[in-house]
Amino acid sequence: MKRWLVFALCQFACSAWGDTEPALNEVRVGVDLPTLERGAETVITVCAGCHSLKYVRFRDLVRLGIAQDKVDAWRGGKPMGAAITGQLPADAALASFGKIPPDLSLMARAREGEADYIYSYLLGFYITPEGTLGNHYYPPTKMPDILAVAGVTDPSQRAQLEQKARAVTSFLVWAADPHARERRALGYYVIGYLLIFTTLLYFLKRRTWAKLDRPASA
Amino acid sequence: MASRVLDWIDRRFPLTRFIRHELTEYPTPRNLSYWWNFGFLAGFVLVLQIVTGVFLAMFYKPDVNLAFDSVQHIMRDVNYGWLLRYIHSTGASAFFVVIYVHMTRTLYYASYHKPRELMWWTGQVLLLLIMATAFMGYLLPWGQMSYWGAQVITNLFGVTPFIGDQVVLWLRGDFSVGDATLTRFFALHYLFPFLILAMVGIHLIALHTVKSSNPSGISLADKDNIPFHPYFTLKDLFGLGVYLIVFCAFVFFMPGVFIETANNIPANPLVTPAHIEPEWYFRPFYAILRAIPDVLGGVLAMALSVMIFAVLPFADRSNIPGGARHRPVYRAMFFIFIADVLVLGYVGSQAPTGFMMLLGQVATFIYFATFFLLPFISKWEERWLRARGLPPELIALFPPRPPRVKFPRPEIAP
Repeated sequence: MKRWLVFALCQFACSAWGDTEPALNEVRVGVDLPTLERGAETVITVCAGCHSLKYVRFRDLVRLGIAQDKVDAWRGGKPMGAAITGQLPADAALASFGKIPPDLSLMARAREGEADYIYSYLLGFYITPEGTLGNHYYPPTKMPDILAVAGVTDPSQRAQLEQKARAVTSFLVWAADPHARERRALGYYVIGYLLIFTTLLYFLKRRTWAKLDRPASA
Repeated sequence: MASRVLDWIDRRFPLTRFIRHELTEYPTPRNLSYWWNFGFLAGFVLVLQIVTGVFLAMFYKPDVNLAFDSVQHIMRDVNYGWLLRYIHSTGASAFFVVIYVHMTRTLYYASYHKPRELMWWTGQVLLLLIMATAFMGYLLPWGQMSYWGAQVITNLFGVTPFIGDQVVLWLRGDFSVGDATLTRFFALHYLFPFLILAMVGIHLIALHTVKSSNPSGISLADKDNIPFHPYFTLKDLFGLGVYLIVFCAFVFFMPGVFIETANNIPANPLVTPAHIEPEWYFRPFYAILRAIPDVLGGVLAMALSVMIFAVLPFADRSNIPGGARHRPVYRAMFFIFIADVLVLGYVGSQAPTGFMMLLGQVATFIYFATFFLLPFISKWEERWLRARGLPPELIALFPPRPPRVKFPRPEIAP
């Protein structure tokens, strides 16, 4: 009881010092193909208008499981080994937004909050009292409200946007670490093997050490 | 046939004798607890780091324009490159966990006492080498935190009197961290592990001369020593299994926790990250650096905080063996010190604002006070414990002194 009280006090004290950034909305990213495919669709047809994903190649999308003809439609005339590049030339981006849009390949790993940050940021646009566009999570942003979130209050429409943002986030999480699924699958086998091996070693060790306590003549 | 070959070798090189003497029949105290597993684990982690590192170096490009891309190439295209890199990046943290536990055990049982001073000092050199290796390796992915961390730390050498600027220039090979720095850090990051390996050899030669310490603190009789094989080979292997389960849980399920988010952004000399913070294993020392308001003082305090462990064989003047096991005051100091280091580690991860600054300064004071008070407290504690009465197993080590004979003062005739 006392421990909890101290813990609660510490929590309170820490929150009092903490900065006043709004808390991120948590998102459970999807790892299923339909979600990733919807995310890829949005990222490649919308985001890639300005942003590049220079470490993701069209071939990787096919390996992920997306149908070849769909990927063919996205890549146009580009080879399968080509990376996803932004359509907007750098100088045009500088002229209209004042900065070059960041590459998205590692975006899900490159910001504090990771997936939650992307999800919150995409849904964080709002109309300021002055009538301009603002973002709760990254106020200095130059990116337009690409999902057209600001001003939407209808719950069903909002839910649809949340689904879309979740799909985009899920795809970017995949893009940041495309071997994650393989890694986890292998991890279960490795740890399972180690558990069995270590248990056996434990009993072997115990049996060997038990010999020490037996009288020498036995 | 096999025995004839072995015989041929043995007449020219003491292979069988070496294996028997230093491995299989090597006498080891049977009361070693699991805290004594961490030396072996450190050796294992070192080998794992070298093996994964060599393979990573086959694909890595130490060039400012290629380094970040080549790491992504390893992560995405190289067969099991992600596994190699995650083992290596997690292994760096694991190395420090193991080394810090190994040091903590030595501190708790005061194993640095005579005759193991050289073990402690070679260990101190190993700690410095490992820190240097980790620091240089951290630059190689060429992310934002790599770049700015290296920039900040190399800058610290600028406080060298008279030749500060030249020293920084010499370290970086350029006026700021750049291609020359990356290439030389890569070369040295490849070299240092082999220096560490050689130092580990010296550490082990010293160990096999003085033999392992043990939780009782008393040198054991021959009957209490048991051959290393099979008893400790099995105990070490079982410990290794437990270690690998924890290690693999990180490698396979949360490898991202040891890679700063800012390090997934390529290095950019024009944009400073909001918080530049070192990896967790440097944070206590980083907190000490920031606790001193003067830069030169801070750098000296930080260097001293790492090196000061070397004074322990002298600073701890108690003759009572077993460290914290038989010495309540030393035990209290030990736990205060560990808690203090944890506080420093926390402070090192926070922005240096008012309260954190104060906390860091208090913790820094306690850190050094522990070492400066130890010579006096340890001597006083020994006197107190001996007056109070030692536990029976220690009494034999302290034979009662013969009572002092008082000679009558000769009467001097007036």
